Amino acid sequence: MAEQAFLDEIKADPELGGMYTEASAALEEALGTAVLEEVRVAFLGRKGKLSVLLQGIKGLEPEEKRRVGRLGNLLKGWLEEALEEKGRLLREREMGDALAREKIDVTLPGRIIPTGTRHLLSRIIEEIEDIFIGMGYRVVEGPEVELDYYNFEALNTPAWHPSKSLSDTFYVEVPGTGRDDILLRTHTSPVQVRVMESTPPPLYVIAPGKAYRRDVPDATHTPMFHQVEGLAVDEYITMGDLKGTLELFAKRMFGEERDVRFRPHFFPFTEPSAEVDISCNICGGSGCRVCGGTGWLEILGCGMVDPSVFGYVGYDPERISGFAFGMGVERIALLKYGVPDIRYFFDNDLRLLRQY
Amino acid sequence: MRISLDWLQDYVDLTVEPEELAEMLTASGTAVEGIEHLGEEHEHFIVGHVLEVKSHPSADRLSLCRVDVGGEVADIVCGAPNVRAGIYSPVAPPGSRLPDGTVIKEAKIRGFASRGMLLSEMELGISEEAAGIMLLEGEPTAGTRLSDVLGMRDTVLDLEVTPNRPDCLCMLGVAREVAALTRQKTRYPVFALHEAGAPAAEEVKVEINDGALCSRYAARVIEGAKIGLSPWWMRRRLQSAGVRPISNVVDVTNYVMLELGQPLHAFDLDLVKQGHIIVRRAEDGEVMTTLDGVERKLTSGDLLICDPSGPVAMAGVMGGENTEVGGGTTRVLLESAHFDPANIMRTSRVHDLPSEASYRFERGVDPSGCVRAADRGAFLMQELADGVVRPGAVDARARVIDPVLLRIRNNRTARLIGIELASDETAAFLGSIDLEVIGTEETGDDTVLTVEVPTFRPDLEREIDLVEEVARLYGYDRIEPTLPRTSSNLGCLTPRQVKRREIAGVLSGMGLHEAVTLAFISPRWLEILDPAGVHLPMERVRLRNAISDEMSVMRPSLLPGLMEAVCFNLNRRVMDVHLFELGRVFLPYDGEDLPREPEKLGFALAGRWLPKQWDREAEDSGFFAAKGMLEALASSLHVQGLSLRRAKMPFLHPSQSCAVSIGGLDAGYLGLIHPGVAEKADLPPETAVMEIDLELLILAAQTASPYQDIPRFPSIQMDLAIVVGEGIDALEVEETIRGAGGELLREVRLFDLYRGEQLEAGQKSLAYSLSFYALDRTLRDEETRDAYDTIVTALDRKLGARLR
Repeated sequence: MAEQAFLDEIKADPELGGMYTEASAALEEALGTAVLEEVRVAFLGRKGKLSVLLQGIKGLEPEEKRRVGRLGNLLKGWLEEALEEKGRLLREREMGDALAREKIDVTLPGRIIPTGTRHLLSRIIEEIEDIFIGMGYRVVEGPEVELDYYNFEALNTPAWHPSKSLSDTFYVEVPGTGRDDILLRTHTSPVQVRVMESTPPPLYVIAPGKAYRRDVPDATHTPMFHQVEGLAVDEYITMGDLKGTLELFAKRMFGEERDVRFRPHFFPFTEPSAEVDISCNICGGSGCRVCGGTGWLEILGCGMVDPSVFGYVGYDPERISGFAFGMGVERIALLKYGVPDIRYFFDNDLRLLRQY
Repeated sequence: MRISLDWLQDYVDLTVEPEELAEMLTASGTAVEGIEHLGEEHEHFIVGHVLEVKSHPSADRLSLCRVDVGGEVADIVCGAPNVRAGIYSPVAPPGSRLPDGTVIKEAKIRGFASRGMLLSEMELGISEEAAGIMLLEGEPTAGTRLSDVLGMRDTVLDLEVTPNRPDCLCMLGVAREVAALTRQKTRYPVFALHEAGAPAAEEVKVEINDGALCSRYAARVIEGAKIGLSPWWMRRRLQSAGVRPISNVVDVTNYVMLELGQPLHAFDLDLVKQGHIIVRRAEDGEVMTTLDGVERKLTSGDLLICDPSGPVAMAGVMGGENTEVGGGTTRVLLESAHFDPANIMRTSRVHDLPSEASYRFERGVDPSGCVRAADRGAFLMQELADGVVRPGAVDARARVIDPVLLRIRNNRTARLIGIELASDETAAFLGSIDLEVIGTEETGDDTVLTVEVPTFRPDLEREIDLVEEVARLYGYDRIEPTLPRTSSNLGCLTPRQVKRREIAGVLSGMGLHEAVTLAFISPRWLEILDPAGVHLPMERVRLRNAISDEMSVMRPSLLPGLMEAVCFNLNRRVMDVHLFELGRVFLPYDGEDLPREPEKLGFALAGRWLPKQWDREAEDSGFFAAKGMLEALASSLHVQGLSLRRAKMPFLHPSQSCAVSIGGLDAGYLGLIHPGVAEKADLPPETAVMEIDLELLILAAQTASPYQDIPRFPSIQMDLAIVVGEGIDALEVEETIRGAGGELLREVRLFDLYRGEQLEAGQKSLAYSLSFYALDRTLRDEETRDAYDTIVTALDRKLGARLR
């Protein structure tokens, strides 16, 4: 109301009132910040109308001087505020217009940033490693070119065992040695023997790595493949511990909803021995083509370390006991991801690599 | 091993359904891999009684039959020569389907209606017999289901018998398991021999010359045998086990093998000279022709069954052609022996001659069961071939294999398996599979049982073997899952393993795909890459029994595998290939039996690094992409002392290749594949590759570097553009700048390289951005100006460079 009051007073004054009307119209007509600046200069610039008027009051009668001075300053204050207000409006509008002109097609594809992948087999090996690391295991490694002793003999495999034949095992010629008992390890189990030879119990280790068998490649065989071997040796390790450990592993790896079963089996280096199955996830256990109608999928072999293996490495089977297990990484990959052919893993076809 | 449940019932009652039985067997160690229901395809066939047969008026071979098919009489036209009134034969009524898929319809054959078909064994799909219709034995009721009359409905379990369980390679052994699982007793076959004539020992003499390889050789003599077809029940049983029926005498040998696990062999006794059997090793170079008509060259490793004139059988593997039982055979010598398992395995493998007999001998048959099996075989020949069994078995024993006595401590089972059993429970489990406890001894807090192990379980040799038997009979599923009471072990990766994972993570994060290639390569690759063995020495680790030449050398480098993977992708029109691999290579190691297996890191970049995009051009891979990749990897691992110097490698482009060193040690190479190599390998010429020693990289990768002050005062940037001769490498320029710039010069970055018309020929211009700062103050202009001047002077003096 106060504002209104002084505006009425200004309007009542012929000169100031005219200036007010003129300024209001100019403000109204200013459609851009540049024009608005012209308006400011025209009224408030050093030679602007209002500035000149205010400079001119020096010569007026004291009362008139006070009245015109007061109203002139009020008008100046009003005009400054109005310019500010209008300026803000115009700048906003102008920025809006400018941003609108900068419109882009946001649906164009983003810049290609190259992304690579880890091999599925590496991923699975690391997943297995991490599960066992969580249970207190260390990861150990051993040579891929091995001696018969570590691959067979110290694992209690009799000299006449068929798996040692030239049709099952790759034998290797190393220049400079005349030995004929050098081979490509047929499993990662020899690492067990090497670790036990060099380390006293207790021992909780897994040994991932490549293994080789003289299989002609087909959908489920390749002459090179990957295994993860596990070994726990301590006082009072029981078959119950083996079951508990591998059940935990299988559920972590394949899902808590999976059933796990242990079937008696035979391996030369463990006794008792077992094969471990998980319930088939394709048919949910009712039987299908993938599980051969049994509802179960075999995932690994295991057992209690045979006392004669302990004998080879100088452990006393009366004082300690242990379990060992071994699993094929490719098989786990086939089961977990439904890859139809094991050979695909070694083609390194980018169209497959990119999927994982 | 295929187990017919119909047959199995001879020895044990089946008290559970086949599926449940399969689960029980699987859970006790004899895995059932499949359950097959037989006879379903024969459900629609019925018994027909041929009442009347007339010949067809206009077709000689056809007969018009009136056949009682149960409740009605059907007219059936039949072409079989053996059809006659009064016989019983299988009938396929209209609407039924033969095993070969033919659907039987009512039809008119040469003008006469025929309602169904009389069937031969071949048409029934049960044998090769097609000469006439099948004649059913006895007088079965017309119209009844054929499968009921022939006992065709059966369930067969396909067992996976582990190599340690030879006892389960026969019906009786499996029956023993089933009996134990269902708490019954096994029924052994009962039979009565009617021996007649002079004792067998007067006809046959057996001499074992190698007692190590043959502990026992028992023989029976059967005379007056009439060779013919075995009765239906026996043929059906053999077929259910996957064994082809041949003739009654041969079928009996197979039948007893399947029943008792003891392989038998029948010789035509008239063809065995003087009835004299000699068991001996072959002489090197000796030859014989086996039943399959193949002449075998033998060595002293092979055991033979001979007569005085030479070999008549390869012991335990296959009989000889010269003494084979044939249609004219009447006198049979029946062999039931025990051979050394390892020797039979060797012979069977060396001659690539696996047989049902060798399969059992090499796993171990029961040495105590020889005579019993011979008797059983003789009995069946007496019954089925009208043979007369001569009194007595000739039983030659080179040595006696006695039952083994084993001790099992009750606490041992508890400690290894984690189950608490009373000693009488243990004894009961063992007793259920005929392992008799013959002594019990209390020692302190333990009970020790002494167990007699029958000779049909050669796998049970140690206490642990008995512990396993107890565990599997107790049931693995009943063992409580627990976790080891671990003392205090810390599960972790080694620092090296952590770094290895990190390297793979960095590389894949930068856009490379991890490859896994085969560790054996073709020697052709080495010929292409390095024919003179300059970088990849000629001393190589080779496979002695490679599957193919393509996979015959253990890789001395990751390069061949990576190149092959690149080719694989290019051949499938995947043109931009960025691969890396972490893997071992194999290098012979002086003085060591095993090769060195250093782990390498390699990568290969082919095609474009980035394709053309809507707002930018394509970016090639090439040398500098590879170099940048390696530098970025080193930088992300905080590797100090990575350096690349010009070097020549036989397989790399001679002027676009480097040796890589880390901390002054030779680590590997980086460069473009030599165009000549690329051409031979079908690779694009611009393929860039790198391979370095992973160990060196990991050693140089700092796990944690000490804190360095972050500059608090502003840095000063200056640009420096110079012109130098083409012969001067950027590295020389940069080293000169750094050397002259003093400690305030913190960064030197090349941002432009120009060659062209504004410069004289043989000159190039390099532009660097220099960054100066001090940690304790704001630099004054003079300080940087002085440093800049020193740099310019040094560049001029050392390299003849001038400011541009």
